[in-house]
This record gives sequence, structure tokens and C-alpha cells, in this order.
Amino acid sequence: MNHIIQKVNILIISFILLNFSLAYAAGKTKRKIITSKPGSVVRESGLKGQLSNALSLAQSGQYQPAAQALFNLVKRPELENERPQIKYILGKMLVEMKYSQVAAYQFVDVIRSGNNRYIKKAIEELSLVADSLGDDTLLNYAVSKVDVNDFPDKNKDMIYFRIGEIKLKNREYEDAANAFSKVTFGSSYNNQALYNRAMANLENNKIDNAIALFQQMIDHRSKSSVTDTNKVAAQMGLARSYYQKQEWDTAIDIYSQIPRDHFLWHDALFEQSWAMLRGARFRSALSNFQSLHSSYYEDFYIPESLLLRAIVYLYICKYDEMEKVLSLFEKTYEPVKIKIGSFLGNSSESMSYYQELEKKLSVKRQEDLLVGLKLPYMVLKNIAEEGDVRRSLSYLRRIQEEKNAIENSGGFRSSGLGQYSVRVLNTRIKNTKVLIGDMVKAHLQNMKDELQDLFEQASFIRYEMINGKKETLRKKIAGRDLPNTIDNQIDREFYIENGFEFYPFKGEFWLDEIGNYHYLGKQSCE
Amino acid sequence: MFQVSVKILLIFAVVSFSCTAKDLIQLPVEELAKESVTPIFERNDSVRNRNIVTEKRWEGNLFYGWALTEPIANVSKLGLSGYYHTTEDNAYGLIFSKNFSGVSQYAKQLKDQYSLDFTRAPMPESGLFLDYNWKAFYGKFSLSKHVVTNFHFFGSLAAGVTKYPHKTFPGVAIGLGQKFYIGKNSSFRFDFRVFANQAPIPFLKCEPGKYEGVKNSTTDSCNEPPPSYSDFKERITFSSVIDLGYSFLF
Repeated sequence: MNHIIQKVNILIISFILLNFSLAYAAGKTKRKIITSKPGSVVRESGLKGQLSNALSLAQSGQYQPAAQALFNLVKRPELENERPQIKYILGKMLVEMKYSQVAAYQFVDVIRSGNNRYIKKAIEELSLVADSLGDDTLLNYAVSKVDVNDFPDKNKDMIYFRIGEIKLKNREYEDAANAFSKVTFGSSYNNQALYNRAMANLENNKIDNAIALFQQMIDHRSKSSVTDTNKVAAQMGLARSYYQKQEWDTAIDIYSQIPRDHFLWHDALFEQSWAMLRGARFRSALSNFQSLHSSYYEDFYIPESLLLRAIVYLYICKYDEMEKVLSLFEKTYEPVKIKIGSFLGNSSESMSYYQELEKKLSVKRQEDLLVGLKLPYMVLKNIAEEGDVRRSLSYLRRIQEEKNAIENSGGFRSSGLGQYSVRVLNTRIKNTKVLIGDMVKAHLQNMKDELQDLFEQASFIRYEMINGKKETLRKKIAGRDLPNTIDNQIDREFYIENGFEFYPFKGEFWLDEIGNYHYLGKQSCE
Repeated sequence: MFQVSVKILLIFAVVSFSCTAKDLIQLPVEELAKESVTPIFERNDSVRNRNIVTEKRWEGNLFYGWALTEPIANVSKLGLSGYYHTTEDNAYGLIFSKNFSGVSQYAKQLKDQYSLDFTRAPMPESGLFLDYNWKAFYGKFSLSKHVVTNFHFFGSLAAGVTKYPHKTFPGVAIGLGQKFYIGKNSSFRFDFRVFANQAPIPFLKCEPGKYEGVKNSTTDSCNEPPPSYSDFKERITFSSVIDLGYSFLF
């Protein structure tokens, strides 16, 4: 298969080179007429030889020497008119050599040159390399220039998908959904397009459409394994749609179907607690909180969940528990808030934000002290899992790999093109790090604002708690005892009838028990 | 989406709890465990916030030992041991045991029925071993559904000496053990060990004249004077021992 693809590539390149040779010959003939100095003619004839050699090398599949020769020719003022063509072929050579980022630069130059003959091809090539690199900046640039009708059919799915992504990012939900809907069924972009299309509908408040699309996605993946990420993501989307539709029980039921050994399960557990809360299933919500507030989640940034737990305790008049949870919230997130504020205050350079994230990426929990993180581990973990950061980190990894490949390429590294490529990649790496740093900064700012908001809410909850306590005391003083509640006479035999063995919780958390806790505390409201 | 809802929830100041005094709590089917798989975390350690923490702690142990396969010497001994737990998986300790004097019930029967006197044989007096414990499992169980008991299951490897009246013999031991915790510090400890050490053979045939005594007939009891301890041959001996004790973590 690879062999066939390579042959096709060589054929395409040969075709381009043939065209180019003809164009070059025509150009040279014209120049011959206006050239008067004999030395110039000699130089041009020398260049012609070099160019012919480079083209022959390209045609015979010797991409590296061809690229080097083309690179040497591209800066020659005598070949100014041919520069877009040379750059385009150089880009193609670099793509073949798997140096996509350096190739992308050549295509950008061709597009900027405005050469009508090669501009469409360069846009197409740029779209493909930017897609493979996951470079959002280049993709946006390419997509903004592209005319879908000029694109070959085989790559149209990619371009529709990327257009949809950009529209979704710009909150143009209707257009985004339309673009995603044009991605064909068999395409490798189909699952993601279907998911994003449903998301666009959900954002556009077309919940039923979103439900139908998520369901369609689940049906497509019915034969996949239980932990198939596309399938699980669709299930999550479906549950979220029902939540948005305020069908709490259906949402809870779908959240329950998320497999426990999938990384999205943690989100499902938290979101399910919300649905339980909204559906007034307080006991169930407290069961989930027992898992969410276990030691296993100590490096998860979920401040909201503690406040939710406090609110549930407020509903069932368990003020002492409420006090504990609010204290835990303050004890855990007050230092987080202070550290974020201090870091934002002291660091203005984007690079310092990136460096902090980079330190986190090199360690796991409990090793954080070794690398001297200035920000809490849970904060950096949360940021590192954000979609935009993850995507940019993946892009950074790719260009670093490309740079490493050039560094280890022996003779090519020391050639003019090699040195140029490393320079280009170094600049790109630095800029990407700055970009990631900016993303980290923005997320930190959001976290700071969010925490500020949550702390305000915590004060309100605390006020409600004090009020509740006061009411209870008042009733006690008035001589009205609290009634005996059901939970005082729990018959544990019931649980044995379920076919499960339940242990009383004694303070330690077991991995196989996470998600299986059942709250059996009593409610204390009159 | 969820953040906004915190505020909304606060507005619902009066919401009745779904379970009243007359309700019976029933666990909804969708909340019951359906999978045997475990969630994925950065560190997938099986337990956190342990009730029983042993790392960097000392442990003292008093025990009674019972030699299962000892035919002649008294099968009982008392001992004490001390361990230092370097991690939650490893502990190193020293065991000292003092054997009960006299012979076993079986040796007494042999004397009653066949006039075989083993009191003359050298018996182990005490032992001193360095012990390594590898704590393979930490777990919990509950019989009553009201009380949860934690336990440790471990393997042990020991090397040391066993002292006899006339000589001290080196030996090694390998074993398995289990501790059942009755609190965060106290536990009952059970050890099963197989010892291998050089030891005197307590059987010595009475041969007339050999020890300057006289034996007139086969029915006569041996009138030889007691043999010296050095008269007993030695060989590698294997013995199985169960220790039952009480441990305390300091």
C-alpha cells in the first residue's frame, strides 16, 4: 500500500516538475530576449543546470538532495519569478521527508506570493500538513483562504471538519453544524464531526437534534468495546443533553452507563451528582460525594462539588456535616486561591506560565515538591487537561519531534536547509510555548475568578447554616424534639438481599469501592 | 453549565427531603455496582488513607510458639519480637524465644510404655533470629457487617541461632503470617514457619559397655550412666512452628 502511495506521489511530483520545467523554459526564453549582458547569460545557464539537476533528483525520489538544491536556488534573484514554484516543490520535498512544519512555511510563502498558478495547490498542501500537525494557527490561515470547491474530493471531509471547528469556536453554531454535516460517513473525521455537530446543536439549544445525533453516534459504535472513547463521549453528550433538557432521571441513568475504567467516568460521576441534586435525590448525591471527596480525588480541582455537598446537607438539616464540608472547602481552596493570585501577580512573562506547566508534566503527584511547583498540583493538572492546552501541547510535541529528527539526520543538519529548518522550528517551538503560556494564564485567571465567586457562595451557605442552627435551637428551647427518623432503625438485612455485601465506612478508601458508596445518614429536618 | 446551577440551588431554600420518617430506604438499581473494573487514576494504589499505617513505625510482639513436628523436646515456647517497618511493604525485626524445659507428651508416653528416657538428650533452650517480613497483602473483612477488621498477610524469612545446653546451632526459617487488627495499633499475629537447622539427634541406643555400664538382658533397663551431650550425633533438622501472639504498633 505504502509502495503504491509513494508511486502516486512520484507521479504527481513528476507532473508538477514537468509543468514547472516547461514554465521555466518559457520564462528563460523571454528573459533571454531582455538580457543584454553576456555574464548574466552564463549565470542563468548555470542555474538552469542546477535546477534541472534538482528536478531530476526530485523525480527520482531523492528528496533530500533535491530539497537542498532547491533551497540553494530559491534565494537567487535571477529566479525571482520562479520562486513560488521552487518553494512549492521544496515544500513537497519536505513533506516527503516528513518535515511538515518546515514544509508548511514554504506553502505559506507561496500563498503570500499570490502566484495564481500555485496558490490553490499550496493552500491544499498547507491544509493537509497543518491538519496532520494539529497547528491551529496554520489551519485557520489555510481554511480562511480555501475554496472548498477547488479541493480534491478525498480531502474535502477534512476541510469541512476544520471549517466546522472554526465556526464552533466562533460560536456560529448553525454554520458549524452545517459544515460538520457535510463530512461523509466513511471518513476518519466522521465520529468527531458527528460529536461536534451534536455539540453545536446543544449549544444552539436544539436539544432534540443533539440527542438524535449522540444516539446515532452510539448506534454507529454499537459493536465497539465498552470503553471506546467515541462511544463513551457520545454517551456523555447524551447524558448532558438530557440534563440540559431537565430530564434528571434519564440523565442519571445514562451517566450510570459510563464505564468505570474510562477516564471520562470521573466527569460522569460529578455531573451525575448534579443531576441527582436537581432531581432531589439527595441521598444518592451524597453517595457520589463520598467517592468524589475521597483521597483518590485529592489532586482533582473540583471546588464546586464541596459546595454542592454543603447545600445537600443544608437541605437535610445536617449542620455539623455542613460545617465540616465548608471548613474542608476553605482549608483546601483558600491556599489554592492565594497561590494563583500570587503567581498571577508575580509573573508577567508567558514563558514562566509555560515553564510551570512543563514542570508539572514531568512529575506525578507527591513528586511535586521535588520540582518546586509554585502553583498547586491540582491546578496545573486541571489546566493540562483543558482541550486547548492539550492540543497545543500535542502540536509542540510534534514539532519537537521534527526538530529532533533533523538534529539526528547527520549531514542534512549541517546543510543550509538543515540549519534553516532548525531555526524555523526553534522559533516555532518558542512561539508555541508562549502561546501555551498565555493559555495557562487565561485559565488561571478564570480559576481565580471562579474561586472568588465560589468563596462568596460559601459565605452565603455558611449564613444559611447559622440560620438553620439557630432555628433548630429555637425549636429545642420551645420544647419540640426532633422526630425519630427512618435512618435510626435501618435494617441492614435489606442490603444483603440486594446480593451485595456492604461494609460500614471506617475512614479508609479502597480503589474497588470508589463509586460504590451509599450514604445512609439520617436527615435531621423536622 | 454546572457553576450557574450552584446559585440556582441556593434559591431553593425550602426543599423537602425525599425520605420521610415512614419511608424505607431502597437503593436504586442503577446505583448498585455493575462492574468489577476499577476507576483509573494517576496513581492506582489499591487503598488510601489506611486505617493501619505501619510505615516508619516500631512494633512489639509477644507470642506463644508451638512446634508441630517436634517429637521429643517440649513443644512450647514463649517469645518476644520487635520489628521496624521501613515501608508499608517491608519490616525487619529480631525474634527471641525461650523454650519450655522438659520433654513432649509423646516422649513421656515413650518413657511410660517403652522405658525410653529422652531427658538425657540435649533440648533446645532458646533462639535468636533476625526476621524479614514482606507484607504482601493489606485487606479487610467483615463477618458481622458492623465491625470491619483489617489484616496483613505476609511472608517471612529468618536467620539466626538456636541454643542447646552444650552448643549453639545456626538455622534459617521461612514462613507465612497474618495479623488481624483489633484497633489501629493492636493486632493478633499468627506465624507459621519451617525451621531448618543443625541439631542433635535425641535418639541414642543403649549399648552395654559402651558407656561403662552393664546391661544383663534385653528386658533390663539400660544401666549405662547418662551419655554426655557430645555423644549425640547431629544432622539437619526441619521443624514446623506456629506462633500465636499479640502485637502492638508504637
